[in-house]
Amino acid sequence: MRVEERPQHLPAALADDLDLIAEMTADFARSLDIEETLRLGLAHISSRMEAEAASIFLMEPGTGELVCRACFGPADVTGLRLPKGQGIVWRAVNRNATELVRDATDDPDFAHQVDNNTGFVTRSILCAPMAVRDERLGAIELFNKKGGGSFDADDRRVLQALAASAALALINARQAADMAEQKALKHELSLAADIQRAMLPPQRPPEFPIHGINLPARGVSGDFFDVVELTGGKIAFAIADVSGKGMNAAMLMSKTASLFRCLAKRLDGPGAVLAAIDSELAETSSAGMFVTMVAGILDPAAGNVVLANAGHEPPLLCCGASLTRIDEGMPPLGIVPDLFSQGCPESTIELNGGALYLFTDGLTEAGGTEAMLGSDGVARMLAPHRVRPAPDRLRALVAQVAEAGLALKDDLTMLVVEDVRDQPAMNRQYQARPASLSAIRHDLGHALSALGVCGPVIPDIVLAVDEACQNVIRHAYGGGEGEMIVQLRGDHDHVDIRLIDFAPTIDPASVCPRDLNDVRPGGLGTHFIREVMDNVEFLAPPPGTGNLLRMAKRIGGHENRKP
Amino acid sequence: MKIESRERDGAVVVALVGEVDLQHSPSVRKHLMELMFDRRPVVVDMTAVEYIDSSGIASLVEAYQAARKNGTRFVLAAVSQPAMRVLQLARLDKVFALADTVEAGLSA
Repeated sequence: MRVEERPQHLPAALADDLDLIAEMTADFARSLDIEETLRLGLAHISSRMEAEAASIFLMEPGTGELVCRACFGPADVTGLRLPKGQGIVWRAVNRNATELVRDATDDPDFAHQVDNNTGFVTRSILCAPMAVRDERLGAIELFNKKGGGSFDADDRRVLQALAASAALALINARQAADMAEQKALKHELSLAADIQRAMLPPQRPPEFPIHGINLPARGVSGDFFDVVELTGGKIAFAIADVSGKGMNAAMLMSKTASLFRCLAKRLDGPGAVLAAIDSELAETSSAGMFVTMVAGILDPAAGNVVLANAGHEPPLLCCGASLTRIDEGMPPLGIVPDLFSQGCPESTIELNGGALYLFTDGLTEAGGTEAMLGSDGVARMLAPHRVRPAPDRLRALVAQVAEAGLALKDDLTMLVVEDVRDQPAMNRQYQARPASLSAIRHDLGHALSALGVCGPVIPDIVLAVDEACQNVIRHAYGGGEGEMIVQLRGDHDHVDIRLIDFAPTIDPASVCPRDLNDVRPGGLGTHFIREVMDNVEFLAPPPGTGNLLRMAKRIGGHENRKP
Repeated sequence: MKIESRERDGAVVVALVGEVDLQHSPSVRKHLMELMFDRRPVVVDMTAVEYIDSSGIASLVEAYQAARKNGTRFVLAAVSQPAMRVLQLARLDKVFALADTVEAGLSA
């Protein structure tokens, strides 16, 4: 705001006052540092208002004292503290009204001590409080009108206007600073979350025996899981939950994760790893914080797992229809030194073709007003997804927790360790849509090569499976959304491919190849499937699924086998 | 995949490049049927067809039937090995007019 011209009918003194208010208000509006602007503006205010000296007092948040943050005039009182209730300044602030004292020596509240210390002789005082609504911010104080007179009612109005404008500017600047701080904090939190995500192990192919998922309830997580490949084909894994939530839990989680990653390759067995982490945490971690953790080592060739548990939710062994809780374990890590000095007991679990599920209490406690899900609840939730490849199964479980309206109060982390000895060579889930077909052909071609199949039979089988997938997309789902799973079993001599979908079950009799003498578009796909594969049949679909098509082929001829 | 059309000797040469699968066959069908609607002679250059499925074959069959009705030429030229395998599986290798090269297809 600028006043360009002086209206002719305003008295010169009033016009000057308006100019001063306009200039200072514009300076406040432009300023990034209001206190600095006030300091610089103080000399200007003093000279325009013909004051011999001036001071600005601001309320100090911690002490509630008024502190002089700037002054102008012969005596420097910057830093001067006015304890509560003393002097004219406090009177102005407490009454939230501008004080005009024509003769200070007559005023009982006048603090003579300052004059005595500085040698300045105070005659008149004008003091305007700075406040916004109920928030008292401080005051501007002027001393001694030049020329010997006193400040008057006009001066009072001008200083009152200046103080009101300064107060608004101060509060705006503080709110802006608060917002900037919050924004910076949010940014730092998202950086921390990025670092945490980077600490999680990379996504491995669906056929890999161990998979995990981590869903933080807020930006950073107090949970973690890790999977570390050891020499000799064994795989170390861990899942952990740090007590508490938020930033300090996230920091302790990062420390624990780093310790695990470092120790898993060096120490012999999960019990030794947990004992070493415990001694490190008990020595250095902050009071009241602890970590529950399961560590294990999978021997994929033997199909067994060596486990050690420190206060964590018992893992569940899922084997056919049977479900076993692995209950043994020690207290959590980091509680008292030497708790694990005798080591941590280990147990060996035979997977027997099944899978071991480990999870944090984010899953078992994901109950709303209902009772907590508990281990039995987890088992019930698992049942319809067992046919899915592990990464998709974990995603489906998490989606189910979200869908059931079970709010994520805690971070949710799950780990599945599977016996892969009898697992398909390929086991992958795809969205049932045309755009998936290229990936299916690519993955299947690779998997067939890996089995030892080669030569012209590969594109034939790929064509047959592509056509079967098209039938699922076009007929079973009828163009709607859904998923399908492609499984490949067998060896270089014989392949068995299963295509599973979750669409309504269809009548196999309705699927028949077209008459080849009838040259017309469409209907060719089923003919290709039967022409290429030796045996094509619909089998009883596994629980929770819609259809299961099995396609088998014996690989004849040496040109289709690797030498 | 890509569909590249160019005019040559009064005919349209349509080169199919890449994988003609369920995702891309609708655009192949649309492209060919527009040419059939204009009664243009068409030579389909299949040198660079890496993969074709039943839906791709069906698009070719539909164009071929329209050409027959129009009395215009519709030739599959320089059919790649993977595409020929699928034509054979469909027993359509004896139905389509085939040419070894695009030039031979143009002069057929």
